[in-house]
Amino acid sequence: MTYERGLALCLLLEIALFSAIGWNFFTAGNAGEIVRASAEVGLLALALTPVIITGGIDLSVGSLLGLCAVVLGVTWREAGWPLPAAVAAAITAGIAGGGLNALLVARLGIPPLIVTLGTYSLFRGLAEGITAGVKNYSDFPASFLVLGQGAIGPVPSQLFVVGAGALGFWLLVHRMAAGRALRAIGFSPEGSRYAGLAVGRRLGAVYLLSGLCAAVASLLYVARLGQAKADAGTGFELMAVTAVVLGGTSIFGGRGSVGGTLLGLAALAVLQNGLRLADLPAELAGVATAALLLAALGANRVLEGRNRA
Amino acid sequence: MNRLRGWAMLALVVGSAACRGGAGGGGGEQGLTVAMMPKNKGNPYFASCRTGADEAAKELNIRLLWDGPTETDPAKQNEVVDAWITRGVDVIAVSVENKEAISTVLRKARGRGIKVIAWDADAEPDARDYFVNQATPRGIAETLVSHAARLLGGKGEFAVITASLTAANQNEWLRQIRAVLAEKHPDLKLVDVRPSDDDRRRAFEETQTLLKVHPQVKVIMAIASPAVPGAAEAVKQSGRTDVRVTGLGLPNDARPYLKDGVLDSAVLWNTKDLGYLTVHAAHALAKGTLKPGVTSLAAGRLGNVKIEGDQVILGTPFTFTKENVDQFNF
Repeated sequence: MTYERGLALCLLLEIALFSAIGWNFFTAGNAGEIVRASAEVGLLALALTPVIITGGIDLSVGSLLGLCAVVLGVTWREAGWPLPAAVAAAITAGIAGGGLNALLVARLGIPPLIVTLGTYSLFRGLAEGITAGVKNYSDFPASFLVLGQGAIGPVPSQLFVVGAGALGFWLLVHRMAAGRALRAIGFSPEGSRYAGLAVGRRLGAVYLLSGLCAAVASLLYVARLGQAKADAGTGFELMAVTAVVLGGTSIFGGRGSVGGTLLGLAALAVLQNGLRLADLPAELAGVATAALLLAALGANRVLEGRNRA
Repeated sequence: MNRLRGWAMLALVVGSAACRGGAGGGGGEQGLTVAMMPKNKGNPYFASCRTGADEAAKELNIRLLWDGPTETDPAKQNEVVDAWITRGVDVIAVSVENKEAISTVLRKARGRGIKVIAWDADAEPDARDYFVNQATPRGIAETLVSHAARLLGGKGEFAVITASLTAANQNEWLRQIRAVLAEKHPDLKLVDVRPSDDDRRRAFEETQTLLKVHPQVKVIMAIASPAVPGAAEAVKQSGRTDVRVTGLGLPNDARPYLKDGVLDSAVLWNTKDLGYLTVHAAHALAKGTLKPGVTSLAAGRLGNVKIEGDQVILGTPFTFTKENVDQFNF
C-alpha cells in the first residue's frame, strides 16, 4: 500500500467517524464550508510543495499574506485606487516578496530557513508598520466579496481558484521537466548543478511562485472575512507546512506529490471541522492533528523499513 | 483485491453517513442549544464569565457549547461561528474580538434563522439581535463618583489618571463623570486629568507628580486597568496615608493594594453575572419572550433586568473591595 493510499484511507475513516458523531457533517453545505475554510492554507500548501521538494522551506508565506492584504487595503481605501488596481498592487507585493526570498536563496545561497525566517518577521513587521497594527480596512464591494463568500450552486468560489492552483502545480511537479529538476535539486543540489541543471533559476522560480500564491491567498482571505488587517494569515505557514509534510513530501527534499498535499490538507481540514461539529473543544484539534501527523509518518517509516529489508 | 477493499470502504462511509442523515438533524431532544464564544478561551476573565453561563444553562436545561480561539489567528472566531451555523444551534452568543470580520458571518447566521447575541463587546448592530451590555458609561461614572464622594465625605478635590488623552472609552467616562459631578456632587472638584498610556510605570510617575503639584488632592481615581496598581504603588511609596485610590480595574491587579488599604475599591462588572445574564437572554430570545418593544427581562437570580432598545443592561457595576476580591481570579 502506498503512503498516499494509506492517507486516503485515513481521510475516509475520519469522514466515517465524524458522519457518525458530528451534527450535519455529511452534507454538501458542510463540504463547501470545509473548502472555504481551508482554501487559503491550501494555496500556500500547494506553493510550498515544490519548495519543500527542492529541500527548501518558505516560512514567510503567512506574513506575506498579511502584507498583501494590507497593501490591498491601503491602496484601495487610503490611496483611492480603483479595486482592480489595488488587487494588482497586492499581487505585485506578493511577487516582490517572493522575489526577495528568491534572490536571497538562489543568488546569495543563504539557507532558505534563515532567509524566510527573516522575511517572516520582515513582512509581518511591514504590514504592522503600514497600519500601525490597528487599522482595519473593510466595506469591500459585494463584487469583490463574492470571491470569498460566493458560491455557484453548492460549490464555493474558492474551489475554482484552489482547483486551478492545484492543476497548475500538478502539471509543474509531475508533468514537466522542471518538476524532475526540482526533485533532482532536492536530492542533491551540487549533483544537479554538475548535471547541467539551472539550479539557481529553478529555485528562484519556486520562491517567486510561493509569493504569488500568498498574494492570491490574501485576496481570498480578505474576501472571505471582509476585512484587511495586518494580522491576516497569522500562523498559516505552519498549517501549510503540516499539510505538505502530512501529504508525504519529504522535508529533506527530493520526494513529494501535489496529490499528497491535497490529501494532507483535506485530512487536516476535515479533522478541524469534524471536531467542532461533534461539539468537541477546539484545543483537541491541535492534539488530534499531532496524533495524525505522527501516526501517518511513523507508519510510513515502519513500512519503508520493511520494504527495504 | 486492493481496489475491492477501497470500494467496500467507500460504501461503508456513505452508508454510515446516510444512517446518520436519517437520525440526526435537529438538536431537539433536550431543549435549546446555545453556542457561546469568548474572545479568548485562555483568558481568566472569560473563564469567570463561563462559570455564570454554566450556572444559567443548568437552571434552564440548555445545552451550552463554549468554544473560541485559543490563539491569535483572527479568522478563528469566524470559523467557529461557521461551524455552529452548519451544526445547527438555536442561539449564537459572541464576545466580539473583531467587529468587521465577525459581523459578516453573524449576518449569515441570522439569515439562516439562528438568533444572535453579542455580549461583552458588541458587533455591528445589524449583525446581532441583542447586545448584552455589561456596563453603560453613565453607570460606571456614577459608581466611581459615589466612591470618591464617600472617601472625601462629600466635599474636596480629586484627580484622574486616564489611559491616553485620546482614548475614546475613557473620554466618554470622563464626560459622564463631569455630568454626574455637576448634577449630584457640586462640592467635589476634579482638579486634574493625567495620562498613563495604559502603562503601569507611567501611571506611577504621573501619580507621584500629581501628589506634589496638588497636595490637597485626597483621592486618585485611576480609570484604566494598568493605572490602578500604578497609582496605588505611587501613593503607597509616598507614605501619604491621607490619600486613597479608587478606579476601574481587574481584581488580580487590585488585590495586594486592596489588602494594604491604599486602594479603596476597584470598579468593574461582575463577570459571573455577565455570563449568567447572556445565557438567560439567549434563552428568552429563542423562546420569543425577548423581542423588540420589551423593556425588561426576568433573569433568574438577577431578577428583572432592564432592556434599552436592543441592549440588555447588566446593571450597576460591581465593586471589588478588600472583603470580596478573593472570590475572583482574573
